[in-house]
Amino acid sequence: MKLLGYRLEKRVEVSPLWQFLSALLALAIAFAVSAVLIAFAGANVGEAFLAMARGSVGSTSAFAETIVQATPLILTGLAVTVAFRGRLWNIGAEGQFFAGAMAVFWASAILPNLPALAMGMWVFSAAILAGSIWGAIPAFLKARFGSNEVIVTVMMNFIIHFILSYLLSGPWQDPASSFLQTAKFPATANFSRLITGTRIHLGLGIALVTAVVVWFLLWKTTLGYEIRAYGINALASKFKGIPPMRTIILTLAISGAIAGLAGASEVTGLHGRLRLDISTGYGFTGIIVALLGRLHPVGVILAAIVMGALVNGSLAMQITSGVPIAMAFVIRGVVLVALLTVEVLAQYRIRRHIDG
Amino acid sequence: MVEFFQTAIIISVLAGMIRIATPLLFAALGELVTERSGVLNLGLEGMLQMGALVGFLVSFQSGNLWVGVLAAGLAGIILGLFMAWMVSTLKLDQVVSGLALNLLSGGITFYWFRVKFSSAGTQMPNIQIFKFGRIPVLSELPYVGEILFSQHWLTYFVFLGAPLVWYFLYKTRIGLQLRSTGENPRAVDMKGLSVTNHQYGALAFGGFMAGLGGSFLTVASAGMFLPEIQAGRGWIAIALVIFGNWVPWRIVVGAIFFGFIEALQLALQAHNVNLPHQLLLALPYILTIIALTAAAGRSREPLHLGFPYKRE
Repeated sequence: MKLLGYRLEKRVEVSPLWQFLSALLALAIAFAVSAVLIAFAGANVGEAFLAMARGSVGSTSAFAETIVQATPLILTGLAVTVAFRGRLWNIGAEGQFFAGAMAVFWASAILPNLPALAMGMWVFSAAILAGSIWGAIPAFLKARFGSNEVIVTVMMNFIIHFILSYLLSGPWQDPASSFLQTAKFPATANFSRLITGTRIHLGLGIALVTAVVVWFLLWKTTLGYEIRAYGINALASKFKGIPPMRTIILTLAISGAIAGLAGASEVTGLHGRLRLDISTGYGFTGIIVALLGRLHPVGVILAAIVMGALVNGSLAMQITSGVPIAMAFVIRGVVLVALLTVEVLAQYRIRRHIDG
Repeated sequence: MVEFFQTAIIISVLAGMIRIATPLLFAALGELVTERSGVLNLGLEGMLQMGALVGFLVSFQSGNLWVGVLAAGLAGIILGLFMAWMVSTLKLDQVVSGLALNLLSGGITFYWFRVKFSSAGTQMPNIQIFKFGRIPVLSELPYVGEILFSQHWLTYFVFLGAPLVWYFLYKTRIGLQLRSTGENPRAVDMKGLSVTNHQYGALAFGGFMAGLGGSFLTVASAGMFLPEIQAGRGWIAIALVIFGNWVPWRIVVGAIFFGFIEALQLALQAHNVNLPHQLLLALPYILTIIALTAAAGRSREPLHLGFPYKRE
């Protein structure tokens, strides 16, 4: 493409700096769009943004709440990262999140008298196992029968939702209440105190450790190499002798396990019991966190904090200026679309046209 | 259990089957045409949701249900063209673009609804839904009249649309070009035809159909809008296209089958059959997974489905 002595040239590789800048640009576009949305709701744009900033990063306690919102997103973002690195489209982190949370209740109910440390290890192990099973089912169906994992993982989200609502309306329902919820977990399965005076809980520590583990897994282990090789070119990796069936199942099982951890971290750290509304779509927001974070653990942590701030800030905005918190959901979508578009631009660079 | 097999109940289940198949068939026929052009539109769920809201809102405000239906179709076209811009012009990854469209459309729908109605008080607005369009004479027939000829006009429209889609794809020049775009876009390009234009057209049609299908949920069924009212139907429709092996009549059969399961489920719930209703509700989703698995090795998948076409 030539224009006025300049031409667009395709970059050989997109540098980390450009990746970072394009993520920032996508966020800037999302902000511009949110100004329009706020005006659409009939509120004062400046006031609304101010409320959002105050509510998300304006004070220590506000920022602590942002971190609380970011915690599950770090984990679901990491879960999606592992899967997407292998170009396996896990849209089921939402369901795997619930599988993990449900495992916590089940595990703590069958062995209620464990001491705190053993209880923690027991319920989190159960959550990891449950999440990985819920992730491995679509993986097996894909590897064995070629079923499209996008659709199967989405269906698995619906299925576990109905299983949970059945359990909460009968077998697992808190006998002392008519709400769809379980009884409180034993006190030994409560990890709500990490930093006193805030709601930040053990999940943050788990999320950060998991980020390191995911980084190590993807770039320092053979399995990680195989996952990435499968993602770059599934056929070539097969010819190199990497068994696709094993790679698909392991990748999605690990992805599911991490999403399961997210569920466990939320119920043990925040809710103390199982309910239907323990997730506000963390599994889906995790997709955006992963892509915005450039499928890298460091990026995922940063992106999770940004999205956490968005949700938390939107809450404050709803209270002070009446703009529905649903705006956070629009922005989620806008960020992703803007990111994809900007990425196309980042693939090109403008060069002075020499020979013409 | 014996009374469950009364004639009246069987007829109502079968009529419900056709009615419930309607939005699925709208979405699936649109998706079929889209996929035939080589684009996997995973944004179908979001399109249905948008169609449901726009159909409802415009009907509510204009007082005319047909205006609402058309507006929903138009909204679907806009989303379809947007998807086309992402996958055909920018050549973005189709899976990620579809997910992005879902999240965007889902977000806009939810926000729009909240801005319009959350402040209006606790009472959610309702609209008077379409009356059934009874076909003269035919609807008087015993059994069949009740099941087939006392449905909504949109239902007749989509079931008559299925053979038209077949005719378009297999008997017209544009249909052939469209199918070639999905099979071998390079050949289409070499002939001097535009791959991009065909994909824009196919996605506009897919969006239009999904918009109409979405509007059916509100203006012919619920009479109100709820976020997530489409409840996975977009995904089920995508599965139906795969299960139907990209062949129109098989997709119709698949949609009717899913309609039957859903209608049966509703009847079982209504007659207090002793089964947990949540597990019945999960049935269509479980069946979708089974159908997808059973469809393994289907042969008519467009060869170039899901890959952006780039000139080397």
